[in-house]
This record gives sequence, structure tokens and C-alpha cells, in this order.
Amino acid sequence: MDTKVSPDQVIDAQQVGRSVPRMEGAAKVTGRAEYIHNLRLPGVLHGKVFRSRIAHGRILSIDTSAARAVAGVHSVVTGEDIRRIIPEPYYGPAFHDQPILALDKVRYVGEPVAAVLAADPHVAEYAAGLITAEYEELPAVFNEVEAATSSVYVHDELKPAITFPDLKHLKGKRNTNVALDYKLRRGDVAAAFASAAHVFEHEFHTQHIMHTPFEPFVALAEPLDDSVTIHTSSQMPAYVRLEIARLLGWPENKVRARTAYLGGGFGAKVYVKIEPLVVALALLARRPVKMSLTMEEQFYVIGKHATTFRIKSAITADGRIAARKCEVFWNGGAYADIGPRVSQKSGFTSTGPYQIECAEIDSAEIYTNLPPAGAFRGFGIPQLVWAYESHTDIIARALKIDPLEFRRRNILHDGQEHPTGTVMRDAEFDEVLVRIAARMGWDQPFDRGTGTKRRGRGIAIGVKASIAPTTSFALVNVSADGSAVLFCNTIDMGQASNTANAQLVAEVLGIAAERVKVTQADTDVTPFDMGTLGSRSMFHMGHAVRLAAEHARTQLEALCAEGGITYSGEQSVAQGFRKKFGMQAGNIFGVGHYTSRYQAADPVTGMSKEVTPFWMIGGAGIELEVDTETGHVTILRMVNVVDAGRAINPRVVETQISGAALMQMGQTMTEEMIFTSAGELTNPSLAYYKIPGIHDIPASIENEAVEAETRNGPFGSKGVGESGTFGVSPAIANAIDDAVGVRLYSLPLTPESIYRAICAARGEPLED
Amino acid sequence: MNRGNDRLENLLIPFELLEPRTLPEALSMLADDDTAVRPMGGGTALMLMMKAAVFTPRRLVSLRALAPALGGIALDERGALCLGGMATLSSLEHSALVKTHASVITRAMPQLSNVRVRHVATVGGALAHADPHMDLPTILTALDARVQIAGPGGSRELFVDALITGYYETALAGNELITGVAIDAVPGRKAAYIKCTTRAADDWPALGVALSLVCSGGHIETARVVIGAATDRPTRVPAAEAALAGALIEGTTLAAATLDRVRDAVASQVVYTSDAQGSGAYKRQLARVHVVRAITAALQA
Ligand SMILES: Cc1cc2nc3c(=O)[nH]c(=O)nc-3n(C[C@H](O)[C@H](O)[C@H](O)COP(=O)(O)OP(=O)(O)OC[C@H]3O[C@@H](n4cnc5c(N)ncnc54)[C@H](O)[C@@H]3O)c2cc1C
Repeated sequence: MDTKVSPDQVIDAQQVGRSVPRMEGAAKVTGRAEYIHNLRLPGVLHGKVFRSRIAHGRILSIDTSAARAVAGVHSVVTGEDIRRIIPEPYYGPAFHDQPILALDKVRYVGEPVAAVLAADPHVAEYAAGLITAEYEELPAVFNEVEAATSSVYVHDELKPAITFPDLKHLKGKRNTNVALDYKLRRGDVAAAFASAAHVFEHEFHTQHIMHTPFEPFVALAEPLDDSVTIHTSSQMPAYVRLEIARLLGWPENKVRARTAYLGGGFGAKVYVKIEPLVVALALLARRPVKMSLTMEEQFYVIGKHATTFRIKSAITADGRIAARKCEVFWNGGAYADIGPRVSQKSGFTSTGPYQIECAEIDSAEIYTNLPPAGAFRGFGIPQLVWAYESHTDIIARALKIDPLEFRRRNILHDGQEHPTGTVMRDAEFDEVLVRIAARMGWDQPFDRGTGTKRRGRGIAIGVKASIAPTTSFALVNVSADGSAVLFCNTIDMGQASNTANAQLVAEVLGIAAERVKVTQADTDVTPFDMGTLGSRSMFHMGHAVRLAAEHARTQLEALCAEGGITYSGEQSVAQGFRKKFGMQAGNIFGVGHYTSRYQAADPVTGMSKEVTPFWMIGGAGIELEVDTETGHVTILRMVNVVDAGRAINPRVVETQISGAALMQMGQTMTEEMIFTSAGELTNPSLAYYKIPGIHDIPASIENEAVEAETRNGPFGSKGVGESGTFGVSPAIANAIDDAVGVRLYSLPLTPESIYRAICAARGEPLED
Repeated sequence: MNRGNDRLENLLIPFELLEPRTLPEALSMLADDDTAVRPMGGGTALMLMMKAAVFTPRRLVSLRALAPALGGIALDERGALCLGGMATLSSLEHSALVKTHASVITRAMPQLSNVRVRHVATVGGALAHADPHMDLPTILTALDARVQIAGPGGSRELFVDALITGYYETALAGNELITGVAIDAVPGRKAAYIKCTTRAADDWPALGVALSLVCSGGHIETARVVIGAATDRPTRVPAAEAALAGALIEGTTLAAATLDRVRDAVASQVVYTSDAQGSGAYKRQLARVHVVRAITAALQA
């Protein structure tokens, strides 16, 4: 809160649509912002984990004696010890499949098997290195397509959580690695293919990726008399409370989860991750326990699904997509986490943002013996767009139709029905394409380079549905001087949500955004919110905040009226309080909540009239140069255009777009978790897992949010945290094809893979 | 200086961190027969190895306090450029002397790792580490640099070529220190280095190509062609050097036939290793392309 802004300074200025500087900016750049990582508590024990070195095996014995013998070790805990306080120690949002520490079996290299507690983290780490385990090794399965039909089963039985009614039918299912198989059946697909003028069919792949938040997972559990406080770097404190309470069999109010600023999340820190273990250790030790994972350990917690996507389209003589068949295999790793939601909620948009009368989707979450995969900025959409926009480009080029024109010919418009059965509303697809093309000068002649440096350009566009139905609550507390505090569980992990939410409160109350403070999430005081993920917060929490502020304003107006004062923002409120209570005293509480509308998918057709409260749309245009002798790519220009509805804070919207696009660029060009044939990760380190550095950033990046309004959104807005990721990967591959005439089907697009494709196209394949 | 944490004694393998004030003192703290005793320059390579648990020290001898004596950059009386063993890579990057007498180093530095590493990493560490995926050893091999080594029995000098003997292997004894590097002044010498990465731009090199050409009267008299990073150690390519010796300079390039011979030599005379940065076959192609680009860059220098 900027106290330098005087109460009456900005009273008439619009708060929404103003690029208010980030509220936490100064604290962050001066190193004063609070992070759980820096939290010190007296008497704390540090936990370090011993992890499985094999991908699949039955645990025969765990030898902790050497670790226990180390001076300074408080205790060593295995999965069986945890049963003493949590009889059923399995957690997970979709399936209760993940043991807090391995029980009976290990299912991936890196799975936590035992934990050591010591006052000194170095002692704990050293002792953890002395633990050994004996296993009966079992055959393992790593590839998602193989695992779909393999007779090697990662889990004996499916154990869906009660949270999602549509997973209920999977309860008790045995002999399968398919954790969820979403199906969409629309129209007569077979007939459409039979009468098609052209049929195209391709298979695309994406690789395993890690979120790499620069603040690795950290949590500190503090056991109190009959309750527990969890200080955690989490995107979902309300869920942490819920899940810990469920595991312990306690009422929710005995579990308190609180956060500080997050050093990045990107979907890694949703639901629960290390919290169940930290809580169990603290309750067993009766001491506060802190675990701070290393960057290296993060690779074994959660990642982004590797995928195989088989896509087939029927095209009419006039270049329209008559039918599309999509078969998507999501490599979910050993534990489901929120993966089944990714395969369904994103899976149903696998056909892309196009008018397609006949569609068939099979989108399956598959268990494998690799580290778990879950939510990751884009929630599965970037994997899908990679495939359908590469495929779409191949079709356009093959039919000699301009790729922009082909897309515009088939793109969905407002009022038209998406293949899921939901009618498009406030979805500016065509405008996004038009703006990308305008910025790139798509209809202008283009310098294609000479000699060994060839230039090309490509575009791509994608769509995402919001996760629904979900609920947000907010509480606005107006003090007697007219300043306000917003209590909400939306986690500011760098996306400036606190600033945007303060702007909403300020707009409604008619005060300056700088006069609104936003608290950090603390489930003892901040009301319920589903979580900060999937770009849902601006829309859902935005509504809740707006309603809470409106509720406060109604009461404030009444308070003023009672004292014969005309409501005019902060100063009038101060007068009103003084008049009523005789001094500067009192509070007004405004509460609000919002649940998005949703209609469950028909179990047979997979269709629904209302799959999402709003659509996220993002496109990219890329100009690049390929060195034909080495395969090196230089991105000369990156254009990112999205429909984010009306921007609450235009500057923040712009940085969300560029941040998302650059993150996706790294995943397109360099990032890859590389496993051996035994499922061991070879590069769990930022030294060998390469995210882009400053020299990898394109020389020119343009970001734009098109003129748009989300009519059912708070002040016309909607989420924008992920939209910038959608188009990047295929736009780059499409530009490479444009430059050198080769098509790549697998990410990442390494220089070697490009060079090999160039050689192969010349008929002179490079030896292996 | 012990870690000073009593509770840790007997538990973790404790190690000493010593900070000698003089070179003789430093030498006396090293050990020829104990690989767990090592000198530490900037510590950037050592820390990575300790974190990965591939190196567990018993004693680290920090050379930090020797920087005032061994961290300089100067010309000697014969005009050779002398880089102190404790000179940091960023001091090389910003040195006017280096720019005048070995601009190939100045040009390479901004691409070497990142500014944080360059600020502390030292010339001695960059050479003694002998990780093949490094830039400076390849460049210094092309410049025929001499490495000055101090040991208990006095000083000796080795060419970089002779210092680095293999994959993480050097001719240094455990109780020897690199005190400096000298690059002789060679009239008419033009040099170039191309760092080629295949992942992020600030990655370790997948391939480094360094060459120096001694030119006079429109000809190349002698040449050194060195391939690094894709090989176990910086590797000279005599056949390519022979092809270049005597070649007529045509503007900033050479006759096509000469370039073909050079290309063929680096492709056929060197074994390229396959790793996460690329296959051997791909790196061979990179070498073919970049050796020619390096020739052009050197002739333009
Ligand atoms: C993130 C990162 C990225 C990197 N990227 C690159 C890159 O792109 N290109 C590149 O070339 N390098 C790169 N490096 C490697 C870097 O150049 C080396 O780590 C550095 O040069 C080592 O110097 P140092 O002084 O820190 O050595 P130290 O870590 O102190 O020591 C390295 C080795 O040399 C020995 N040693 C140190 N000084 C002496 C001496 N005076 N005499 C005898 N032995 C000595 C030590 O005992 C040890 O065995 C990178 C390193 C990091 C951490």
C-alpha cells in the first residue's frame, strides 16, 4: 500500500484499466518481500529425503540404521511410520494414489522412500545418503503409448478421490494404466472422412518438462496443542487445509495453511506437494519441521506431461475442416496428481479453435514409471496446440492455401458452436489472427534470406477453456479512515494479482488502488478459494472481490447517509465513521463469492452446453532465420496477440503475455528432461536442463491484447496468465517449414533435429 | 579455518578451508598424494562438483589472498602478454592489454558462461579443471600459450597443449599451482574463436573452434587449428594446419580447394564425442562449417 498517495488524490480517476505499478515491486527489488524460504522458527528440524533409485519395485527392506546412528539425527521416518498417525497415507486431488512416503512399492526413480530429521540440514542430508533399500525389481513402463496397453501396471487398482463425480466410475478398476479416458463423439465422423476431398494424418510428440520456479518447494509445519500450522509456498492454501484435514481426520479449522510471496509457481505448487510429508514429520517429531527442496529435487516432484497426439482431418474441396479425429496420450507419470483433469479439461479442446461439425476425441491420462506430471502453465493446451496448429499448417501448405487464410476460413466466431457443444461467446479468434497478420505485414513481401541463411514466418492460434465449476470468496474490510484491506486467497506469485484485485476494490469504493492493502493468504483469516491456477483468478476471484466491495459500498453509503453525508470515497467514509462512533473507530465488512456455471459433459458424447465460463485465446507470429548448415534458428521477431477481455492493468497484461510466450519458447527450443532406458533422469540440474538465458530472447517481441470485452467477466476482464503460451511452439515450427521446407513433429526443436531433417529432405541423411 | 561447527565434527566428512597469504605457504598446504586436497580459485567448478557429490574435499586451499600478487595482466620485457593465474575471466574481458594483444579472448569472453561466473572464475581454474566443455583452453592452445607452474621444487613451464592431457586430466601434480599464462607476441598473427552451443546461448560449448594464422605478404605462413569441447581435450588438427600453411589470402577468404582440404581434415582427423549436446556426427558437421567461418573471422580480425 502506497501511503504517499493522499486519500483524495485519485478519487475520480478510474482504477480499472490503469497500469498501477505492482504493489510488491519495491519490497521485492529491495529484498524485503517475505518468502517462506526465509522463515526461521526456534526448535525447527530439517527434513531430507531418501529417494528410490529404481523405477519400479517391491520394497523388501529399508535399512535406516546407519542414518539413525549419525550424531545429530533426530529420527528417521519411513512410510510404515507414517501410518501411525495417518492410517491411510495416500493423497492426491483426483486419485488417492500417492503415498506420503513409499509403501510396499516404489514407482519411479526419485520417489521419496524415507526421511531424516535433524536440527542441521547438512546432517540430515548426510544421513539420508546412508539409507539403503532392497527391492524386488519389477518391469517398468515409460512410454505413454506403450503404457496404455502394457501388461505392466503401475498401480494395482484405481483409487479415485471423491472430489470429482466424473471419476467415480473408475473406482476399483484393475489391470489398467489408463487413469482417465475422456471421449468426445460428435456427428458422423466416418461419413465425413469417407466423403472428404483430402485426408491428413500426423503424429506429434512433446517432451517432459519441469516448471523450474526459482523458489523450489518449501514448507514448514508447526504442531500446536491440538492443531497444526503449515507455512507453505503454495498456490492453493485452501486445498492444503482441506487435504491435510482429510488425511488427519481433523476438522478444517484445526489446520491452518498460510503463504507468503511465491518465487514462481507455474502450476507446480497447486494442490499438495510436500505438505503431507512435512506435516506427518512434524506430528511424529512433535517439533516444527521444515523441508526446502533443492532445485535438483524439484525435478522429482512434478512436471509437464509428455504427450503423443495422433490427429487426422477430413478436408472438403473448398478447404474446410469437415471432421477431425484426435487421439491424445498424456504421460502422467507414477501418480495422477491433477493429470486426469488436464487430459479432460484440456482434452476436449483438442480439435482446436475451428468450426468442425464432426469430431472424435480420445484423450487419456496414462500412468507410467516416471515422475508425476500435472498442472503446468497452459494446463495441457500448449501440447495440444503444438500438434493441431502444426497439422493445420501442413494442411494449408499442402492445399496451397495461405496459412492465415486457411485458418480464417475455418475459425470459430461468436455464436457458433464449439465441437463440445458450447456456443462461443466473447471469443475474438478472428481478431487475434487479424492483429498478428497486421503486425507481421503478412500480405507484404518478405525477405527470405540468401545462401545458408533462410528466413521464414509462421503463425498459430490456440484456445483454452477455464476449469469449471469453481468457487472464490473474498472479504473487504474498510477501516474507519476509509482505507481498505482485501482478504483473499489468490496467491501473488509474480502475476501481480494483488495489484489487480486492489484495483477492483478501489474502483468499486471510489478510492485509489494504492489505498487498498491485500493480505497474504492465511486460511485462519482469508476465506475459501479453489486456488490460483488455470488463469481462473481474474475471472472468479475478480467477481468475488467486486461483489465484496459492492457489499461494503452499500453499507458505507448507508453509514454516510445516516450521518447526512454524501458518499464520495475515502474522506466521506472517515466522516461517516466519526459521526457514528464519535471517534475514528469501527469497520465495515463486505463479503462476496462467485461460482462459475458449468454443465457436466454427457457421459456418452462428452458434450456439454456450458463447458466453460470464458474462453482464453492466444496466438503467435514468428519470423526466424535458419542456418541451413547447422540447423541453428534465430528468432528475429515474436508477435504475441491474445484476447484477455478488458485489461484491468494493461502493463501487467503485457508482461503476462511476454512471460508466458518466453517460457513456452524455452520449452520449444531447449528444455527437456532426458531419461535413460531405466527411467533415470540424466539432467536434474539447471546446469544441464537449459531454460533460456537473456541471450536467447528474441531481438523483437511485440505483445498485444486485442480490443475485447468479456461480458460476463468482472469489468469485462478474464484470465491471461497462460494465453501467451498457446501459439509459440507451432508458430516456430511453421516458420521453420516456411524457411527451409522441413517439418518437425517432436519438441524440442534442437538445431540437430532441424539439421537432420534438412539432410533427410535432401536425401542425404546424417548418420546416427 | 575449520567450519567452526562443533556438532558437525565426526559427522559430516569435515573439510578445511585454508587461506594462505603467500605462494610458498599455499604450496606447502597442498599434497601430491591426496586427491581430496585441492587448490581453489574462483571455486565455480569445484562447487558444482561438490554439489553433485563427485568431489568430496578434505582440504581446500583458497588462492583468494594471492590475487593481488597473481591476479595481474601485463606485458613482459619480450612483449608477451602475461595473465596471472588468479586473474578473473572478467578482468580478461575488460582488459585493454588483452584487447590489443589477444583480442580473440576479448571477443570470446561475453559468451563464456555468465557474468557471475566470469567475475570469480580464474585463469588457473579454467586451465586446471580440464573439463573438455570449456572455451579458454581451446583458445589458448591456438595461441600456443605457455603455462607457468610453481611447485615445491621450483617453477616449470608447459605449453597448454602439454598441460591438458585428457578428459579432466592434466600434467599438474597435486602440489603444483598454475601461477600464470604467457602468450608470445607473434607479428602478423590473426586469431579467431567460434563457440557453438546447441542448447541455451550461455551453455557450455558443444564445439569450440579456435585458430590462429600467422600471415605475411598476403600469405598464411603457419596456422594452428584447434577443436575443443567436442573432443576429450583441445585437439590440434595437423592436416588442416598443413593445408593452411602457405595459402594465398584472397580478401577475407582462401581458395575453395584450400577450404575443402581444411574442412575434410577437421571432419576426418578428429573423433567427435556424442553426448546430450549432440551426436558425434552432428558435431563433425558443426566443425566443418565453423572452421571455415573461423578462417573468415580471423582474416577479418
Ligand atoms: C554455470 C556455469 C557455466 C559455465 N559455462 C562455461 C562456459 O560456457 N565456458 C567455459 O569455458 N566454462 C564454463 N564454465 C566453467 C568455468 O569456466 C570454470 O568453472 C572456471 O573457469 C573454473 O575456474 P575457477 O577459478 O572457478 O576454478 P575452481 O572451481 O576454483 O577450480 C577448478 C579446478 O582447478 C583447480 N585449480 C584452481 N585454480 C588453480 C591453480 N591456480 N592452479 C592449479 N589448479 C587450480 C582446482 O583445484 C579445481 O580442480 C561454467 C561454469 C559454471 C558454474
